[in-house]
Amino acid sequence: MAIRARGVTKLFGRGTDQVVALDGVDLEVAEGEFVCLLGRSGCGKSTLLSMIAGLTRPSEGEIDMGGRRVGMMFQDSNLFPWLTVEGNIHLALRLSGAPKDQWADRTAELLDMVHLPGMQLRRPHELSGGMRQRVALARSLAQDCQILLMDEPFAALDAITRDALHDQIERVWAERRLTIVFVTHNVREAARLGDRVVVMQPSPGRIAEEVRVPLARPRKMDDPLIATRAAALHDKLDKYHVIAEQGRTS
Amino acid sequence: MSAPAGQRTAFAARLGRLWARTWPPLLGVAILLGAWQLLYLVEFRPPWVFPSPGEVATSLVELARDPVSWSALGTTLTRGVVGFGLALLLGTALGIALSASRVLRSAIGSLLTGLQTMPSIAWFPFAILLFGLTEQAILFVVILGAVPSIANGLISGIDDVPPALVRTAHTLGARGFSMYRYVVVPAALPTYVAGLKQGWAFAWRSLMAGELLVVIAARPSLGVQMTFFREFADTAPLLATMIVILVIGMVVDGVLSRVSNRVRLRRGLGAVRL
Repeated sequence: MAIRARGVTKLFGRGTDQVVALDGVDLEVAEGEFVCLLGRSGCGKSTLLSMIAGLTRPSEGEIDMGGRRVGMMFQDSNLFPWLTVEGNIHLALRLSGAPKDQWADRTAELLDMVHLPGMQLRRPHELSGGMRQRVALARSLAQDCQILLMDEPFAALDAITRDALHDQIERVWAERRLTIVFVTHNVREAARLGDRVVVMQPSPGRIAEEVRVPLARPRKMDDPLIATRAAALHDKLDKYHVIAEQGRTS
Repeated sequence: MSAPAGQRTAFAARLGRLWARTWPPLLGVAILLGAWQLLYLVEFRPPWVFPSPGEVATSLVELARDPVSWSALGTTLTRGVVGFGLALLLGTALGIALSASRVLRSAIGSLLTGLQTMPSIAWFPFAILLFGLTEQAILFVVILGAVPSIANGLISGIDDVPPALVRTAHTLGARGFSMYRYVVVPAALPTYVAGLKQGWAFAWRSLMAGELLVVIAARPSLGVQMTFFREFADTAPLLATMIVILVIGMVVDGVLSRVSNRVRLRRGLGAVRL
C-alpha cells in the first residue's frame, strides 16, 4: 500500500463551535493506483488530502505513507510570482536536494513532459490558467514525488483545457508510475480519471462508498461508458447528500 | 551615406517619448521659478532676505567651486549612508524577529508603530545628553527614525504573504530558514521596499534635524553650513544648500521607486490603465 489511513478524525474549533470535518476515515491506496475522492463541498475531502500532505495533523488516527515522497497541486497553480517558470521549477529541485548541474536539463525535460517546451523564461502572470497549472504539475514532479495529491486542480479551467489536461495527467501518471489521489466534486472527472472513486458524504465527513471504474486506458471524456458511470456516481452523491440532510434535521 | 530610414524614425520616436516624459516636470519647475522671480521683483521681502533665483544659482556655482562645501556634502552623505545602512540591518532583523515570534510582537509591536509617529527631533535633547555633541548622537536618532518604518514594512509584507504560497512551499519541502529565504521574504519584497522608501525619508529628515542641532566643531556638514549662512544672514547660499538637500532626497527616493516599480512589474503587479 502506498497510503494507509486508519481511523482518521479531524475536528475544527472548540466547545459548542466544534465541527467534525472527518469522522473515522479508513482509506488504503495501492502503489500506482489513481483514486478520486468525490463529494460535495463540506465532506472533508480536501481536509483528508491536506492531512496526507502533512499540512495539518489528524485529531485522531494515523496516516502512513511508508516514507514515500509526496507532491501536491491545488485549485490555483500557486506559482511563485517573483520567479520565472524556470525559477519555480529550480526552487522545487533545490528544495528536494537535486544537484545544481542537473537543474537545467531536468527543467527542460519536465517542460517537454507537460508540453511547454522553451517556456523557461516566461513569468507566471504572462501564462494562461491552463499553462500555469501545467507548470505547477511540472514543479510538483520536479521533486520526484511518488505520490501526487491533487486538490481540484482543474476546477477553475474551461472544459476544453480541462479535457487536454486530463489526457496529460493520465499519460504522466502511467509514464511515471505515480500514485495519485485526486479530489473533485465533478462526477465526470472522477469517472474519467479514477481506477477507483471514493464517494464521500458530508456532516460529518465520512467515506460512503467505493466504486471501481474498470474501463480501459487511455480513456476519452466523450466515451458513452464514462457518461454512464458518471450518471451512476451522480445518483450516489444525491443519495448520500439527502441522507446527510435527514441526519442533520432529525 | 545617411542612416537607414528605420533607424532614424526609431531614434525620433525615442526622442519623442523622452520629451513626453520630461516636459511636464520642466514646466512645473519653470512656473515655480517664474513665481519666485515675480515675488522677488515686487519686493515682498527685502532682497538681502529674499534673493532672486539667479543669485541662488550663482551661489550654487560658488559652493560647487569651494572644497569646504564638498567636504560638508561628503560628511552628510556618509552619515546618511551609514545611518540608513545600519537602520536597514536593524529594521530587517527586527521585522523578521517580530513576524516570527508572536510573544515578541505583542510585547513591542504597538510600541514600534508608536515610535513611527513620534517626531524624531524629539529624541535629540536626550541623545545629546546621552552621547554629547557627537556623531553617535546623530546616528542614534537617524537609526531610531528609520528603523520602525523598515521593520513595519517587512512585518506587514510578511503578514500579507498569501497562505496558499506558504502551503505550496511546504509541500515542496520548504521549512524554517528555506521557507523564509526562498518564499516568505521574496513574497514580502514589494511592501518591504515601500517600507525602505519611507525609512529613507525619515532618516534623511532626522539627519538634517541632527546636523542643525548637533554642531560638531571643525566638521563641516550641510547642517553646519546652513547654520553658518543663517548666522551671517547670507540667504542665497542658504537656499542653494537647501536645494542640494532636496535634490539628494529626491534622487535616493527615485532610485528606490525604480527598484519598487521593477519588483512589482516583474510579478505582474504594475498599475493598469484602462
